[in-house]
Amino acid sequence: MNPIEEFIFSFADDEHLIGQQHTEWIGVAPFLEEDLAFSSIGQDELGHAVLLYEVVLGLRETEATDEAIDALAYDRGASEYRSSHLVELATTDWAQALLRHWLYDTVEQFRWELVVGSSNTALAEIAIRVEREERFHRRHADALLDSLLASPVARPVLLAAFDSLTPFIANLLAPVAGETEAIAQGVVSASITTIAPLLEQRVADRFEQTLSITADISNSPGRDVRSDHFQTLMDRMREVIDYDPQAVW
Amino acid sequence: MAIYEVFLKKDGRDEFRHAGALDAANDELAFVMARESYARRAEGDRLWLVERSNVLVADAEFVAPNADKPHRHHDGAAVAARRKSIREQADIADDSESQ
Repeated sequence: MNPIEEFIFSFADDEHLIGQQHTEWIGVAPFLEEDLAFSSIGQDELGHAVLLYEVVLGLRETEATDEAIDALAYDRGASEYRSSHLVELATTDWAQALLRHWLYDTVEQFRWELVVGSSNTALAEIAIRVEREERFHRRHADALLDSLLASPVARPVLLAAFDSLTPFIANLLAPVAGETEAIAQGVVSASITTIAPLLEQRVADRFEQTLSITADISNSPGRDVRSDHFQTLMDRMREVIDYDPQAVW
Repeated sequence: MAIYEVFLKKDGRDEFRHAGALDAANDELAFVMARESYARRAEGDRLWLVERSNVLVADAEFVAPNADKPHRHHDGAAVAARRKSIREQADIADDSESQ
């Protein structure tokens, strides 16, 4: 795989799968307004995935048609995806979904900052464009957490949910295949691993917990290995397509 | 939880209009939820939230008597009829002068 493409896929696939996960809460989130808000945030993330898949198509000098974008989103083999295991994780637990939303979007902010001055001008423009939406995503997660962490009933539930996600952080922030070349070409300014201390600080501020990510990163499986949850998610996403792969939409 | 009434306005156009209501635990959550519940399709770019308990509601009995006062409805019909009648009388006077 072309290393720059591989680097872009690591971001695009994360955006695609977290978007899918969030939108699946439509109709089953704890209350109506949150149904709308959470699935709407999911749609934003799917939109970001489209923009990033378009960057890949740009690298290939291929026209970004709907079919070409769908092919990248749905038709690659499992071994070609570069998603993190955090976004592949299946959950029906709202606390876990909410904490993943906070964790993912906190890291996402720093990831966009790493490409805001990218030599790939399309990518740099996207980084500026998405921040307006990401600011709202973080405000949404923070508003819920500010309110719920203050509750003696909700606080232990949320902290347990956060603990259940910490094992995924090392994989999320482990060096991404292709990033060495991406850094050399100015596509990204630094390794994704540089986010670790920034996240540790955010976690300390938010949960009054000390998290030590850096040591775990070197022992983490990379993004070239799919977690057990991936295939179930992909099968669900492809369910309608697979009824009749030749159908014209 | 409190009920918030949501008002939206398009910039440079119209006045604030009532869009609906929602339940929220506090003001910040009300903002976040109102944005997605009522403005996600760009229905407005300005947003007011009013906690329903802060709305002063008049007694219906107090407001109702004003529904029965047609003389306060200035639809212009009476004035128009009067102007027409005066104009017609003037025409008749003109005609008799010219004869």
